[in-house]
Amino acid sequence: MIRVRKPKALILLMICLFSAVFSLERSFGQQITPEKQEKSLQAESKPEKIIPSPKNIKERTALYVFIGWMWLAIFVLIFILRLKIKEADRLYRLKFFLKNKK
Amino acid sequence: MNLKEFRIGIQSWFEDRLGLSLITKFLRKKEVPQHRHTIWYYTGSAILLFFGIQVITGFMLVFYYKPTLEQANESIARMITDVPLGWIIRSVHSWSASFMIAIVFIHLFCVWLTKSYRKPRELTWMSGIFLLVLSLAFGFTGYLLPWDDLSLSATKVGTDIPRCIPVGGLWVTKFLRGGEDVTGDTLTRFFGFHVCILPVFIFILLALHIYLIQKQGMSLPLDAERKKEEVKVLPFWPNFVYREMVVWFLLLGILFTVAIFFPPSLDKEADLMAPAPEGVKPEWYFLFLFQTLKIVPARIFSVSGDTVAVLFMLVLGFLFFFLPLIDHKPAGKKGKFITLIAYAVILYAVVMTVWSLW
Repeated sequence: MIRVRKPKALILLMICLFSAVFSLERSFGQQITPEKQEKSLQAESKPEKIIPSPKNIKERTALYVFIGWMWLAIFVLIFILRLKIKEADRLYRLKFFLKNKK
Repeated sequence: MNLKEFRIGIQSWFEDRLGLSLITKFLRKKEVPQHRHTIWYYTGSAILLFFGIQVITGFMLVFYYKPTLEQANESIARMITDVPLGWIIRSVHSWSASFMIAIVFIHLFCVWLTKSYRKPRELTWMSGIFLLVLSLAFGFTGYLLPWDDLSLSATKVGTDIPRCIPVGGLWVTKFLRGGEDVTGDTLTRFFGFHVCILPVFIFILLALHIYLIQKQGMSLPLDAERKKEEVKVLPFWPNFVYREMVVWFLLLGILFTVAIFFPPSLDKEADLMAPAPEGVKPEWYFLFLFQTLKIVPARIFSVSGDTVAVLFMLVLGFLFFFLPLIDHKPAGKKGKFITLIAYAVILYAVVMTVWSLW
């Protein structure tokens, strides 16, 4: 029988994923300082088009790290899920849950 | 008390109060047929996934968005330049909308081609058509919210289309715009539609659609049903859900990667007095309609070409809604002809979209 130590693996992956997200400079919910808001409101010449992108090399690197961790987490999760699928199918073939009902 | 006992304790506390085991029992009893079209079953849950992402990111965007003529564009500019991670949230919201509508179309054509709308699933199809219309309405109303030149012009064109309908068309245009022309009132109105009215309707219809699917069960392929073949089945919980989770994780990965590398830009604030900019185009899912209206001659038999085209589209939409009743013998000659029409519609939509982008 295949045994997956999923809780530990999942917790570890989640920690990695969240740490990658929150390693970005500030969180989404953080407030903007009044000075910064005023500065943006007072901007005299508005650009024709704003193309959003990471502001600096730190943010850009953090995003690449996040994408890397995200895909790694996805592949590990898919690997775990494949094992879970095999196990669930095996139990279904053995009519494990029907036996339990009886 | 060890961790396992603690977990069981928590589970039984909730079980005594909520009776959640009834749901798991139902899900374990629910079965998913396994055949060559099973892959299309994943599209339904993928739509739900993207819808959920839009709800969550939409809540986040509402914290910063201001639906007024003076502040709409500026608030989005602030969101994507000053608010930490704001541009990613907006990009995920925008891309998940596109992904959702793309999968809605795939889901719809799969149902059409596999004739899954046949008896007793007619109402499931009809509720699905309403959901498609609502999804497109979400896209249409959301497009104006950045209040830039392109969105203003596209909304002017879009809200002008009902005007071609001889009876009640003008009223529809005025109702959508909140007046004669697209103004700040239209923006506030579209924001109201986008975050209040459409969500209420979509949640009700989604609940009905899911209820009908649970009640009728998953459809079988037409041949298997006619020949009364034995089709292998799989329990929905956990076997099918695990498989769906693989698809969800892959889609999530693709969504975040695309959203980070290709965020939508923001044009300068719309000027109500300025002429329409060149190359005004709606979102990609309206392009085939846009191109159709573009190629229709100005007058057909002394009637406005636009009026003829819009009325023709309305009739087609009406027939499409009642498709399960029209195609009541899917295995017969008429059924095969309707399948051919489905392929023709797909080809037409693709050709028109590509032509419009050319």
